[in-house]
Amino acid sequence: METKVEPEFQSALTTYTQDHAEPAWSLELRQKMLAQYPTLPLPRYEKIDYQKWDLLNATKPVTTTSNADLTDDLKIDFAASKNLLVEVGKSVMAAQLDPALAAQGVIFTDIFTAMRDYPELVEKYYMKTAVKADNNRLTAFHAAFMNGGAFLYVPKNVAIKDPIQAYYIQDSTRKQDFVPHVLVIAEEGSELTYHENLSTSGTESNLANIVVEVIAKDNAHVHFSAVDQLSGKTTTYLNRHAILATDATVDWAVGFMNDGNVVGDFSTDLRGKGSHTEVKVVAITTGKQVQGIDTKVTNYGQHTIGHILQHGVILEDSTLTFNGVGHIVKGARGSDAQQESRVLMLSTTARGDADPILLIDENDVTAGHAASVGRVDEGQMYYLMSRGISKKVAERLVIRGFLGSVITEIPSKSVRERLTATIERKLENGQKSESDS
Amino acid sequence: MARLEVKDLHVSVTDEDKGVDKEILTGVNLVMNTGEIHAIMGPNGTGKSTLSQAIMGNPAYKVTQGDILLNGESILGMPVDERARKGLFLAMQYPAEIAGVTNVEFMRAAINARRADDDQMPVMEFMKLLDEKQEILDMTDEMSERYLNEGFSGGEKKRNEILQLMMIQPNFAILDEIDSGLDIDALKVVSKGVNAMRGDNFGSLIITHYQRLLNYIVPDTVHVMMGGRIVQSGGPELAEKLEDEGYAGVRDELGLDVKLTDEI
Ligand SMILES: Nc1ncnc2c1ncn2[C@@H]1O[C@H](COP(=O)(O)OP(=O)(O)O)[C@@H](O)[C@H]1O
Ligand SMILES: [Mg+2]
Repeated sequence: METKVEPEFQSALTTYTQDHAEPAWSLELRQKMLAQYPTLPLPRYEKIDYQKWDLLNATKPVTTTSNADLTDDLKIDFAASKNLLVEVGKSVMAAQLDPALAAQGVIFTDIFTAMRDYPELVEKYYMKTAVKADNNRLTAFHAAFMNGGAFLYVPKNVAIKDPIQAYYIQDSTRKQDFVPHVLVIAEEGSELTYHENLSTSGTESNLANIVVEVIAKDNAHVHFSAVDQLSGKTTTYLNRHAILATDATVDWAVGFMNDGNVVGDFSTDLRGKGSHTEVKVVAITTGKQVQGIDTKVTNYGQHTIGHILQHGVILEDSTLTFNGVGHIVKGARGSDAQQESRVLMLSTTARGDADPILLIDENDVTAGHAASVGRVDEGQMYYLMSRGISKKVAERLVIRGFLGSVITEIPSKSVRERLTATIERKLENGQKSESDS
Repeated sequence: MARLEVKDLHVSVTDEDKGVDKEILTGVNLVMNTGEIHAIMGPNGTGKSTLSQAIMGNPAYKVTQGDILLNGESILGMPVDERARKGLFLAMQYPAEIAGVTNVEFMRAAINARRADDDQMPVMEFMKLLDEKQEILDMTDEMSERYLNEGFSGGEKKRNEILQLMMIQPNFAILDEIDSGLDIDALKVVSKGVNAMRGDNFGSLIITHYQRLLNYIVPDTVHVMMGGRIVQSGGPELAEKLEDEGYAGVRDELGLDVKLTDEI
């Protein structure tokens, strides 16, 4: 990977920052990380070989807005959701929040507005605890070039019933990096359901560097789901990271449905005693793409529970790697780390790995793992086909079932249906190149 | 009228442990038409399930000799899904479980697989049909909404097989030990479902170990299978004779050299 900092980037960034009236701390952080990122190490993930990907060749930040009709393909029902944010590139196409929630102090807005209107609140958390800006070369790159995203703040004891929905659409109608940042703060005793959709409009080759930070305070409950559908021309670094305080829960359900190369760093820190996470990941890889997903849960607090479930399907010549890292640190007594990673290979040229890594530094704990790389169950196929269902449809049904763990966790019916349709489309396309035998 | 013929059928399976082929069916002959109910009775391990799987087209069962004809056409070269679309149905002794796929979704896929792309069954029509069949089988919507056979009890699975049978409405249904593991009430329900299918366009091959089922679904013809072939055929009274004399009695009477692993 090539790394370059040119002086012209410094002035472009300054202009960009001023254009959004970002607070002084933001400009300072950007300039610092711009100077620093080329010297920081790239993060390492077991069996994920992404180092040569084009993830650091930054394009100069542009201040021009994106075209609103780029949302058309998604057929977003703007009226269906009370709490909705739609962004194309850095341009906000819709931002709505139930006034009753706003009155309770809930903030849900694009990241630039948040920086302007709540500079201290954003500064307190932004790339400081969950994902530290100088953690590695890619996080520092992100801090320097961040160009979109959202801020969601839920005050103490506020429970949000309706899901919060966000669409982040990469504008690839032109050459432009996609660097959105999502910061979710769930204060003590709060509750929220948040769903995000990542997608691409346009056919340019671009890089994406996405960071999501979730901070769950004592006894906060966060249900986070995401459907990632970036294009085949997008090369992506995707970092989602949560930190949990005492008795907090964060449930993740993420569908990696991207068409391009993706390295996913997906991490949950169970800091507080009794905190609990359920991490569910599904992925489909097709064509020649590579998706490497490093899912990690670290039990720091006592009596913490971390469960990882990863199911993936690999078609054609693609590669899918699931790392499942369960780390129980010394002192995390009474904790539980479990994981299951399963990969189905639908072609003989597909490559897959399901790699469980358990690091246990404490005795009084429970831990377990199951991992498999296999083919579609023949008994299931025979049963479905014995009812007249063709081999390809039967295969798609079995796989849809296999990926069902995440589909059922998506709060919105329309998103569930779209995810199902996406899975169906990917499988159909992938099957076309398979033999009919 | 449709016709299913099994001619001098020899079938082998591969013994996984030894890696050698073992002949299970040693020359089965059978002719049945729609409108008829046939029963096959026989001791455990004699090849009843093998016969049903070979007719359906399970790739694990290799036909080494003979033929299977549906309306005069050999189906040996057809994969299982094609045979199903031609009108065959097998209620399996051990149905597969598939998480994440609901019964409803599965049955719609099965019905629509038989129809042209531009003639898929409308949802309302499907739901109406489903309600009607569920009622006959004392089944609830809740069961149909569940994942395919997942977590179903033995009896629920059998009922679910019959529900599929009634939804798909094939020409020929092979029911492999549909009575095993059923209490008397469930047996009555399952029988009610099968009897509701009876008619000119439906024929069934009922495989059972016990005569009891045949009190509820009265067959036209009963076949006794031993040592991988049919050794005797007759009317319903043959089932009663078997019940009285046991398979050993029939074997001895016919002077067969077959080892029985169990007796009724
Ligand atoms: N898939 C198979 N693989 C290996 N052996 C089999 C298989 N299916 C059946 N057999 C063997 O074939 C014989 C007949 O079995 P089966 O047809 O199930 O008998 P039945 O249904 O009459 O009890 C048994 O010895 C059984 O072990
Ligand atoms: Mg059997």
